[in-house]
Parts: sequence; structure tokens; C-alpha cells
Amino acid sequence: MNQTLKKRGLRFYASIYFKIIAQDFKSKMSYRADFIISTLGMIMTNISGFIAFYIMFQNFETINGWNYYEMLFLYGFSLIALTPMQCLFDNNWNLRYKVYEGDFIKYCFRPINIFFYFISEVFDVKGLGQLLMGSLTLAYAWNKLSLPFTVGTAVLLVLALITGSLFMIAIMNLAAATCFWIINSGYVMVTMFKFTEYAKYPVTIYQGIFRVLFTFVIPIAFVAYYPSYIFLRSGVPILTCMSPLFGIFFFWVSYKVWMLGASKYAGTGN
Amino acid sequence: MEPIITLKNVSKEFKVLNRHEGLKGSVKDLFSRDYKIIKAVNDISMEIMPGEICGYLGPNGAGKSTTIKMMTGVLEPTAGEIIVNGRVPYKNRTENAQNIGVVFGQRSQLWWSLPLIESFKLLKDIYQIEDKQYKDMMELYESLVDIKSLYSKPVRQMSLGQRTLSDILAAFLHNPGVVFLDEPTIGLDVSMKSKIRDLIKALNHEKNTTVILTTHDMGDVDALCKRIVIIDKGVMLYDNSIENLKSFFGAYRTMRLRFTKDASELTEEALKKQAEELSANLLQKYPQVKSLSVSVDEDWIDVLLNEDEIPLMKVMHHIQETKRIYDVQLKEISTESVIKKIYDKDIK
Amino acid sequence: MKKKIWKYLSLLRVGVLEEMQFRLGAAVRLFGNIIYLIIIYFLWKAIFDSSPTEVVNGMTFTDTMIYLVLASALFSTMEMYVTWQMGRSVQSGNIVMDLLRPMGYTTYNLFVFSGNTLVSVFVNLIPTMIIVYLITSGGFALSWNLLFFMAAVFMGTILNFFINFFVGIICFYTESIWGINIMKEVVVMLLSGASIPLAFFPETLQRIVYYLPFQAIYNTPLTLLIDNHLSTTERLSMLGIQLFWLVIVGAVSQVFLRVSMKRITVNGG
Repeated sequence: MNQTLKKRGLRFYASIYFKIIAQDFKSKMSYRADFIISTLGMIMTNISGFIAFYIMFQNFETINGWNYYEMLFLYGFSLIALTPMQCLFDNNWNLRYKVYEGDFIKYCFRPINIFFYFISEVFDVKGLGQLLMGSLTLAYAWNKLSLPFTVGTAVLLVLALITGSLFMIAIMNLAAATCFWIINSGYVMVTMFKFTEYAKYPVTIYQGIFRVLFTFVIPIAFVAYYPSYIFLRSGVPILTCMSPLFGIFFFWVSYKVWMLGASKYAGTGN
Repeated sequence: MEPIITLKNVSKEFKVLNRHEGLKGSVKDLFSRDYKIIKAVNDISMEIMPGEICGYLGPNGAGKSTTIKMMTGVLEPTAGEIIVNGRVPYKNRTENAQNIGVVFGQRSQLWWSLPLIESFKLLKDIYQIEDKQYKDMMELYESLVDIKSLYSKPVRQMSLGQRTLSDILAAFLHNPGVVFLDEPTIGLDVSMKSKIRDLIKALNHEKNTTVILTTHDMGDVDALCKRIVIIDKGVMLYDNSIENLKSFFGAYRTMRLRFTKDASELTEEALKKQAEELSANLLQKYPQVKSLSVSVDEDWIDVLLNEDEIPLMKVMHHIQETKRIYDVQLKEISTESVIKKIYDKDIK
Repeated sequence: MKKKIWKYLSLLRVGVLEEMQFRLGAAVRLFGNIIYLIIIYFLWKAIFDSSPTEVVNGMTFTDTMIYLVLASALFSTMEMYVTWQMGRSVQSGNIVMDLLRPMGYTTYNLFVFSGNTLVSVFVNLIPTMIIVYLITSGGFALSWNLLFFMAAVFMGTILNFFINFFVGIICFYTESIWGINIMKEVVVMLLSGASIPLAFFPETLQRIVYYLPFQAIYNTPLTLLIDNHLSTTERLSMLGIQLFWLVIVGAVSQVFLRVSMKRITVNGG
């Protein structure tokens, strides 16, 4: 009767994940209208972002010593860095409803990691549109800035993008986890998400304490600016070198906080 | 035989913030350290044998779900010891989860958008169920209920009954030692209720699975449980077989009366008024009889009494003298009334 | 007649109470808004610092900031979750309950959501205006323009409601609440001038935007408040245009509702 537990390693989790995603994808496709409308909405969001960006640069040549194509680079970079959060961690947006309505308890009864189980439920396909737009923008800016493209820079770029994504995911993990402690945490998520839209501007525009704020407290500076600095300027700041490690650490912290909230929930929920 | 679940002097306390009113109060609450301790579960001990179906009863807020959460490893007790399947559940939640199944009444644990069979396949992977065992289980399911027609249906499109059925099957799929069912028949119609009860009985019989059942529906208890545990305000009130409980009330009888020819035409208020009048009348006549109580059940007026205190015929005679009785039935005390008596602290 | 007014006033009261419930939410929102304003400040400061001239498109840095700060206060004051609410109640089937109320569906929603806005005017818009006025030591005049501003905010709120309501009805037809909502938000945000002052738009785009109803939500009240050079005729004509859009969008949404209601009653939601 008592089955002995086989080891649940990375391979186990990966295989479960792909099975869930594949099924979820199938069922999303059955809501074709929703899929099309959401994708359209996503594309429109991006297009309006570009229009706003374009209008700004119609009036101004440079911002803080960064020219049009450099800003475009940062823009594209931040769009790509946003994608993993959008596609893989989208269920965070549903967390607060599940917590208030008491449905969250079901995640506590399976013999797998709660965070994994929760996050694996949703794969948001429309985030891929963002990936496409971001990639095109980045490639265009890369070309216009005539940056060299070698194996070395490609590896660096992937590393930098992963770093940016980790920060992005961690910020939203933390914002979502606030629902374990406060009512109406929807505002926190919406506000945080609004901030991340400004990740595409160089952090040097902020002065004094605010630069510290956006670097270490709400680390939007690490989503695009620091990781991509290495491609745009010579003389790499220490924060750029450290950013992958910071990213991993910050993600780990956000995971721990999320799990702490989940275990607190089990005590008071219902 | 070793018990499959052991609780030894288990208690659970919660620290709750004393909230203040008003705008000032809510600012105060942000920094306040003013906690009060609530004892959700207070010194509960029990042993449950493999293969038992045990009803775990109590009014809302009695501490049932806290106990269940501790047994499933979601919560850690403040004091005491819990062993489930030979393990301490909260010390290793995932390992414990491998050997239990849980169904929470109206909350489906299946993947909302997936066809049922895909949910089952995923559970097979998550619980690492052997191919053969999985196949056997599915065959058993197909022999018990008409499940095949649901395989391709996504959970969100199912009726509540179908969903509950699927959830129960999913909870038994990995052949766990213990299954916790929290109000499995809530909100279902009569025929679906009996279908669910038959299924639980059959699975318990077939796999010798221990079932812990919390419910407010005494029909569930009558149909499934030989043993019941009752708690209220965190304290255990009763732990024994239903038969034993009923024998306590062996001398209790229910007299069901109708004072109108066509009782179904009476409104509920009119019926209640009749019952109140009767209650007042009896109270006046037999002020010393403690066990006498009058209640309304569907379109009957029930008079419950203890024959050791007063003979039933005597009461009926008295009633007949004041009112015309159109219809009468005599019954043993129902489980419902027994439980109610325990909740109301008529007996300890 | 008197009773009827009470009915609507108590609805307004419910909206007010609902909004007051979420005090902590309000604190979070305030904090978020402050940080958002800080971002906006530094961003535009950097932009103006990089520009060779001090006046761009007829606006100085201070003008731009006054506009953007007030626009963002106005935006969050008028923010309504009408579309979300409608979409959700269609999905959950609660729409049937809403329709059972002894008053029009539009009226019911309008009053509840206006209650939310009313609170926001006092806790959000007016404090922001006072702060802006003090910091800029008279960034806008304290005169008849306030009266025009109030009238324009009033009509802007209702216009905003009708636009939201119109989009909400689309949710009767599709389950894609998120998609519909995000499209609306994006379009309104950009074309109303809430994120970038309309003065910065290229000329053709500006002309198009002035022929659309969205600029009447935020841009009209803000212009009436800030711009001192307007004549009374100009002011009245701006209010007139706002009223025109209000009537058009209101009427169209009512027709749309009537057509769509058939769908609800036929399909049972």
C-alpha cells in the first residue's frame, strides 16, 4: 500500500511540465476567438508602446546621452526579458483570486513542489508575440548600431537576457506573494508591472536616492540597463558583471518569500 | 493490527491579531503586537484502523478542517503527535502526499481545462504510478461507474456531480492508504448522492482504503460510517460506533404527527406555528420532562422524547385531547437528532 | 419622484462605501502613484535636459509636468473597472441577477461606479491639485477656469463610463475579457493624451486624435484648467464638443445594449 517515493529530480519536473503545457496549449487552441483577441490586444499594446516611443523621439534627439538606436536596443532587450515572465509565470496574476476564494489549498495536497505545481498550470502563448517584436527590434537596433555579432557576443546576449528575465520574474513573484499578507494586493501587482514598463530607460536618468531605489529596492535597472550595458558602452561597471549572480539570488529570495506565504496561507486559509 | 492514523494529544493554536476599528485602528494594526491565542484543536487523540470509514463530524468552525490539514501535512500541530501511514505528515509533506488522497467538496483538484483522461494521465506521472497498477485501477473504475463517457470532457464543462465523481476517482487513483473526503456530497441531488456513496463504499471495500469523511449530511453517515468522531470548539465530544451512540438514546422515540388533512398544503410558517403551540402546550403540561422537544421536519411535526422519563402513549393521549391528529408515525431516533443532541451538549 | 432619487443616491452611497473599504489598497495606490510620478519626473527631466531648447512644442518642463501629474491623477480618479465587472458577471452568469434589479442596467452601473469616482475626487484629485498648486506656486489660475474644469470632469467621467460600458457589452459576445480590456486601455491611454501630452504628437496624428472621443475624457478638463489664453467662447465650445461625444457614445452604447440584451435573454447568459 505504501509506495516508496522515487526521487523527484529535475527530469521528473521537466517531463511533468511539458505534459501540462502541451495539454494547456491544446485547450487554449480550443478557445480560438479568445486566443486571437488576446494576441491582438498584446500586439496593440506593443504597437502603442512603439508609437509613444516614436512620438518622444520625434521631439528629442537623445535622452541622457543615449541616442535613438541605443534606446531602441534597450527597448527590444526589455521586451525579450519580459517574455519568460509573461509566458511561464502568468498564473501569478491568478494567485490572489485563488487565495481569497480558498482554492489555493488544493496545491498543498500533491507530492510535488507547490510553487512548481501552481506556476505550471498556465502557459501564456500570447507572450510569444512580444518575444517576436522584441527580437525584431533588438536585431534592427543591433544592425543600426553596427555591433559585432560573434559566438562570444551571442553567448553574452543569452546570458544577459536570462539575467534580465530572472529579475523580471522575481519582481512579479514578490508582488504576487503580497496577497498572502494583504487584502486587495491587486494594486501591488498592477503598480509593479507598471514600473517594469520603465525598465527600458537608462537608470542614470534618476538622481541620488532614487537611483538606489530603482537599482536595489525595485531593481528595474537590472531588467535591461545593466545586463545590456556591456553591448553598448565600453568599460563594464561592476554591477553588470555581478548581475547574473544578483539575478539568481533575487529569484531565490522571491521563491522563498512566495513559499513562506504559501505555508502561512495553509495555517489561516479557509 | 497497527492503526493507520494515530493522533496523540494533538493541539493547534493560532495567533490572531486583535483588530481595531476605524481608520486609526487599521493604521494601528499595521504595527500592533496585540495577539490573542485561539485554540482551534485542543488535545485530541484517536486511532483509526486500516480500512475503516470514519465520519468526522462537528458544527462549522469546530476545528475539523484544521485537524484534516494536520493529518495531510499542510499544518504542523502546536503540540502532540500525529502518525499517518507510519510517517509524521508535516515533516515531509511531499512524501506524505504520495500516500494520501484528498477531495474538497466543491473545489475541483483536477486541471480545469484538461479532458478528464489527461488529468488522470498527469496524476499517473506525478504519483509515479506503475503502468499495470494504473490499468487495473482504470478497469476497476470502468466496472464501477460509467466513466468512459467523461474521459474526453474537460472538467470545466462537467456538472457538479460529474466533477465530484471525477475528483473522488482521482483521489483514489494512486491507491493511497488514506483518503480524506470533505463534504463530498454537498450540493448534489438525491440520486447523485447515493451514486457517490455507493462509489466510496465500493472503493473502500475493493482497496481496503481508509476513509476520513467530514460531512453535515447525516445520510452520508448512515450510508457509510460505522464509527464517528465528533468535535466542537476544538474539543472531542464523542468517538465510538454509531450503534453505540444510538443505544445511548435507546429509549428515545420520535413521534411524527400531522394535524391537518392535507399537510403538504400548509405553509412552512403555519407548520412552525403549529409546532410552537404544541411545544408551549407540552411544556406547560410536563414542565419536569427534560427530554421533550418539538421540531418540524418536512411536512411533519416531530415530538422527540425519552420513554424512561415519560411513556409515549401518555403524551399522545394528552395531545389527542387538545387537538385532532390526522396522521401519526413512530420512529427510532434519527442520527440527525442524535448528533444535534450532542452538539447541543445534551449529553457528553 | 422623491423616492426614486433616494434609490439612486443610495446606490451612489454603496459605491462610496465600497471604495472606503479598501483603505490599505488606497495607501498602496498612493505609494505607487508617488513612485510613478517620480519616474515620470526624472524621465521628462532627462528628456528636457537633453534638448537644446527650453520650450518644446510650446511647453516648458514645468508645463509638461503639471499636465502629466494632473493627467495621472485624473486618470486614476476616473479609472473604472466597468468592463472587467461586466465581463466577469457575464462569465459567471451573475449578469442575470444584475438584470433582475428594478432599474436600468446602465443606470445601476453608472451610479455605483460614479460613487467610486466621487471618493477618488476627494482623496486623490483635489489633494494632488493642491500640492501641484503649492509646488508650482500658482501653476494654474484660481478663477472661472475651475468651474469649467469641474463641469468637464463631470462630463468626462460619464463619457469614460460610456466608453467602458460600450466595450463591456462586447464581452457579451466573447469570453476574451482580458484581450478586450487591454485593447481598450491601450487605445484610451495613448489617444486621450493621458501618457504623453497631445501637443507632442506629430501634426497629422494630432488632427486625427481631435476627431476622436478619447481626448474629451482627460485632455478637455486639463486644457480648461491649465490654459489661460482661452476665450470664454473657446471654453464653451470645448464643453460643447465634450457634450456632443457624451451624447453620441451614450446613445450608441444604449442601442448596442438593447441589441445585445436579446442575446443574453435568448442564450440565457
